[in-house]
Amino acid sequence: MMISKFDAQDFQAPEQVNGWRTISLGIGGIASVIILVIALIFPEYREQALRSWLLGFIFWGGIGIGCLGILILQYVTGGAWGVISRRILEAGSRTLPVIALLFVPLAIGATSLYEWSHLSDDPIIQHRQPYLNVGWWIFRAVLYFVLWGVMTVLLNRWSGRQDGAATYDEAAKLSADASKFSGPALAFFILVVSFAAIDWVMTLDPHWYSTMWGFLYVAGWGLSAFCFVVTILAFLVDKKPMNRVLGKRHFHDIGKLMLALVMVWAYFNFSQYLIIWSGNLPEETKWYITRMDGAWGAIGLLLLLFHFAFPFLVLLNRDIKRNAKWLAILAVFILLLRLLDMYYMIGPSPRIGTHGKELDFLSSFSWMDLVAPFAVGGIWLWAFFGELKKRPLVPINDPYLENAINHGKGH
Amino acid sequence: MDNKIYGLLAEFDTPTQLVEAARKVRDAGYKKTDAFSPFPLHEIDEALGIKRSILPFLVLGGGIIGLLTGLGLQYFVHVYDYPIIVGGRPFFSLPSFIPPSYELTILLAAFTAVLGMLALNGLPQPYHPVFNVPRFALASREKFFLLIETKDAKFDYDETRNFMQNLNAQEVFDVEE
Repeated sequence: MMISKFDAQDFQAPEQVNGWRTISLGIGGIASVIILVIALIFPEYREQALRSWLLGFIFWGGIGIGCLGILILQYVTGGAWGVISRRILEAGSRTLPVIALLFVPLAIGATSLYEWSHLSDDPIIQHRQPYLNVGWWIFRAVLYFVLWGVMTVLLNRWSGRQDGAATYDEAAKLSADASKFSGPALAFFILVVSFAAIDWVMTLDPHWYSTMWGFLYVAGWGLSAFCFVVTILAFLVDKKPMNRVLGKRHFHDIGKLMLALVMVWAYFNFSQYLIIWSGNLPEETKWYITRMDGAWGAIGLLLLLFHFAFPFLVLLNRDIKRNAKWLAILAVFILLLRLLDMYYMIGPSPRIGTHGKELDFLSSFSWMDLVAPFAVGGIWLWAFFGELKKRPLVPINDPYLENAINHGKGH
Repeated sequence: MDNKIYGLLAEFDTPTQLVEAARKVRDAGYKKTDAFSPFPLHEIDEALGIKRSILPFLVLGGGIIGLLTGLGLQYFVHVYDYPIIVGGRPFFSLPSFIPPSYELTILLAAFTAVLGMLALNGLPQPYHPVFNVPRFALASREKFFLLIETKDAKFDYDETRNFMQNLNAQEVFDVEE
């Protein structure tokens, strides 16, 4: 019956995952109740609660959706890193229903979150009304989730069937199907992420726009997903069963991809800055003028130094990329800076009824910005660990699995 | 021995034998050694005790020189030598200086990588004594070879030849200069 020498029973997730799952749910549940109760009961704090929720949603949802993107990417490029991290990426992508559920508070509270959801005498908002109105915005969000959902369902179905494949040819065909689907899917994925990022974050300020916006999220969510995968792999590397699978070279390869995405993130951010700086139009430059002033300016500098310069220089080092523990510490550090980056984008945006005036740090910051990432994150991680347990941690019948494992042991 | 000898070349059938032999050669204290295989063998660097290449540091240096050249060139032209007001910006406008500086960083880093790789490998090298052994042509097909040069401080013709024969080599050849 078995067509490969790997047995699904030997590759179940370690017991510790159950513990992580319970802790995640506990933290996430308590924090979510706090935020959602405040949003429900106190109308005067509702906007802030929803903005904080949006921060957590964009950060954690971005990891899950980023996992889907990297899952598609590894079917297009191939490579040992894709085979050994595929099941973690799949588990991340299968959290999509929970991500959609975490989106529901934003959809219900859209009128408390987005200026354009109110009828306005502002000619620019009136002009954008045919696109920016609540019904059509919710319809688009449903469409994004449906499109991501199709990608998630198909890729997970083929990969799941491969585990039960009776012949080598059947297993190879399922891999080939996934690869064929992934080429066009990658193009659609990038488009959907662009539209979603514009809808959910950029329209917080209905007057401002940037054509680089979508790519900031494609690169940022991809980087988040890689950092998350490295963190999970580093947790699994010294436990059964992954201690038989993972080698230094796997971490080396994923470290190189992290370096590439750190650079792409900086490249897209600088592109947006250069375009707006060159154009020098007041309606565009105001975004940066706010964000380069005072405490926002300090946060921007932190991002430049620690979201780009520091990881860039550290990741040039070969030994750090090959050391699971050090790479994971750096990955968690980058994830924290990813959250700060999201806050830098969401935090200063104008509130409802302020006529597009952006906020300084002190009047924007709220304790809920610190709680909401735990709320969304706990629930998301609970879903993730639940999905991680459902399948063997490696695709046991993948034709390249043995090569991929041996690759890690090389030099 | 009429001709001068460049070194001794041992022939092996499998990559595993080559790597094992290389480890013994390294442990015996030979330094001027080299291995030849039809395909890349990642273990061989460690087995022969080959140190890591300094190329990455050269490339980093090349990149930094490129960055400084790019910034310096634009500063010289736009601020010092021929300042023109463009679009109402200051002469020293860092955002517009970054793309050319970045390109020069990549250019010089890439040049250093290619040229440095050639230089460190001693390429191009039109003549090498190992080709005087006719069977060495098989190194690009199915056989694996290990070389110890006469220049090695530990090299002693009889002793070294005897040592190499004991490494399970198919055959040991004299490599003429």
